Amino acid sequence: MPSTGLALTPGLASFLKSLKTNPIDTSIENLISCALTPFLLWATCPGQTFPSNHNHLRIDCSNAAKSAIPGHALPQRQRWPAPHSCSAAGDGGGNIVRRVLGLIRDEAEDDHEAEFSLNASLPLDRDALGLRQDGQDRNAVRPPLTSMFSLLSHPEPENSQPSTPGSQSPSGRFPSHGPSKDVRAEVLEGINEIIDELGQVDEQIAAYALDHIHSNEIILTHTSSSTVQKFLLKAAAKRKFTVIHAESFPNNHDSTHATVSGKSLGDDDQLSTDAFQKPLIQLGITVILIPDSAVFALMSRVNKVILGTHSVLANGGLVAAAGTRVIARAAKVHQTPVVVVSGVYKLSPVYPFDFESLIEYGDASKVLPYEDGDLVEKIDVQNPIYDYVPAELVDLYITNLGGHAPSYLYRIVSDHYRKEDISF
Amino acid sequence: MASTESLAETGAKPFDIVAAYNELLRTDPDLTMPIAAIEALVLLLTHEPSSTISETLDLLAKSTDHLKKAIPNPIGLSAGTDLFQRYLITTLQRPGQLGPAGDFKAIRTHLLSNGRLFIRRAKESREKIVAFGRGFIRDGCTVLTNGGSRAVASLLQKAADEEGGPSAVRFRVIYVLSSTSNNPAEASGEPEGIETVRALRAKGVPVSTIPESAVAYALGKTDMVIVGAEGVVENGGIVSRMGTYQIGLLAKAIGKPFYVVAESHKFVRLYPLGQYDLPIEQHVIDFKSEEDIAEENQHKPSSDRPVLPLCDSVDFTPPHLISALITDSGVLTPSAVSEELIKIWF
Repeated sequence: MPSTGLALTPGLASFLKSLKTNPIDTSIENLISCALTPFLLWATCPGQTFPSNHNHLRIDCSNAAKSAIPGHALPQRQRWPAPHSCSAAGDGGGNIVRRVLGLIRDEAEDDHEAEFSLNASLPLDRDALGLRQDGQDRNAVRPPLTSMFSLLSHPEPENSQPSTPGSQSPSGRFPSHGPSKDVRAEVLEGINEIIDELGQVDEQIAAYALDHIHSNEIILTHTSSSTVQKFLLKAAAKRKFTVIHAESFPNNHDSTHATVSGKSLGDDDQLSTDAFQKPLIQLGITVILIPDSAVFALMSRVNKVILGTHSVLANGGLVAAAGTRVIARAAKVHQTPVVVVSGVYKLSPVYPFDFESLIEYGDASKVLPYEDGDLVEKIDVQNPIYDYVPAELVDLYITNLGGHAPSYLYRIVSDHYRKEDISF
Repeated sequence: MASTESLAETGAKPFDIVAAYNELLRTDPDLTMPIAAIEALVLLLTHEPSSTISETLDLLAKSTDHLKKAIPNPIGLSAGTDLFQRYLITTLQRPGQLGPAGDFKAIRTHLLSNGRLFIRRAKESREKIVAFGRGFIRDGCTVLTNGGSRAVASLLQKAADEEGGPSAVRFRVIYVLSSTSNNPAEASGEPEGIETVRALRAKGVPVSTIPESAVAYALGKTDMVIVGAEGVVENGGIVSRMGTYQIGLLAKAIGKPFYVVAESHKFVRLYPLGQYDLPIEQHVIDFKSEEDIAEENQHKPSSDRPVLPLCDSVDFTPPHLISALITDSGVLTPSAVSEELIKIWF
């Protein structure tokens, strides 16, 4: 399974660096492998100016949306870079793409408040999606007018047209000189900030470890998530506790074994050793490796379950490695608190309408090797990679912003993403 | 009543806000209670000349009290009156053209001249709900619903689209028809929601109607429950047509998602602690012995509050039974409601 939260973020950073130094052509290969392509291209290419040409930006955005669909641009890549964190199979959305989009919108609106509104100038097929964007909605996004007041408020565009084609209204023409350079720099800076955030996310989360892990506790965890490992390591520096590690067969057991034993895995895994220098056992922590099937039996002794995740959805549910739901359910039965550690970048604004579609299926030969040809022909082998864990099975989320109840996540979602970017 | 007296003093011909409210609801079946209340207040302001801020606010407060006392179920309308009042106060406090420095007349004219606009926006908010809620209804799913909510009806009808239309979703509906909702006021005597059933069937959606007693039986064949609401209270629970609470309980027990469709102007600042904590007089549970019945036949007991007829009775569905609220400001968790309310009140 794609162990999310691995040390892939430096890849993104170095990629941007290489873009700055190298000519575009040489790194185009890299570019294609990243969903941020259009934005980085736009942000770093010297030839293009923003917002001189809205149509251009629109193309960028729609390209982004297209290339963000996993099967579209990257047919062969199973392992999506963690920061991208596709919220769901087929929803075609990357959280980072959404954030960069939001960033561009914010900058554009800040700088040209009076002159134009990016909202309206970027239709992004919103009409097709049925998400009409009128004065009210824009109102709802911005303080101080709240969404509840939107019914009564807004004395300015009273001219009963849903979209006001007035003087402040946009359209493709906009002076190509002047502040356009600044916006570009601002957006570049914003992207760099996001990259910084991605680089620090695990450390920031780990800073909360001592609040949640106490001496002599028994902690159960699952998969080789580096976020969880750093969290535990941080606590292990000060306190002694016991870790029970479920091995998460068949998709992640190799790297889980490597995590527990402290041996780095081969090149095929991007889990670099510098991500965590010492395994927990070297810090004197008792680590017990168990098969997934033993989780329920041991749960009665466990004080706390700490889980990593693939992505977190807007309703507080999460999509995590297969087997997570079993653990969360077992914890519920035993009234054991379940803590999920996740960077804010894994938070997806997508509402899980259809849980089934969120679950990807992986290589069946991991369950039953193809060498057992006879058997493979006769039975249907499935290897689901993810589990959907409903919000009521989770007690606490710890992100780089702190601890949140699952019901509060909607708030963080609305802080980080623009409404109009939720569905591309 | 004190408020009516004061109204009589201010104008030669007192404006009857209760009559205006009822008239608005009667003439436009698409109008929700909060919007009718806002409209009634706008009409009040046009009839009653008031030039100062405090005079206007006082007038509004008095009329609102009067209206709430006169209507048996004031939950829906109090959402509207509260929203109106808060809007007025917030706009006056905020710097700007309509603020304290600006002209009070400007905001007054804005409100008076835009009565129709508010109604239109309120109806548009239903379209927004449809846009947010459409993803919930998928091909092949079965939806259980109840009551006569217009928001639910428009969501289902939009999903059905025209038969064979490009965006038509093939889904089925189980419609719970209430046995007690044979409204005597309605000439046909048909249960609430039958028009929606007809409209859906006309669009080619297979609809099954079941009595309330069959909900538990039918939930096994259901993928999700979608209900409307009269008011969404502060903790995220809903006040809705009698019978919604039990559907919520059953859906939770059987493990089906329970969604509520409601416009955000129905959010009301109310924190009911249980079924019997609503500011409504409704005699659903009415213990009687033979003696009481005989006594009642002789003289009707008069109450200071109008009693809600049994067909209009409501119950309270607590937030833990609700999976999500589909509103015009997005798909919210129940706990998001309090934040929306806090934003306008504090």
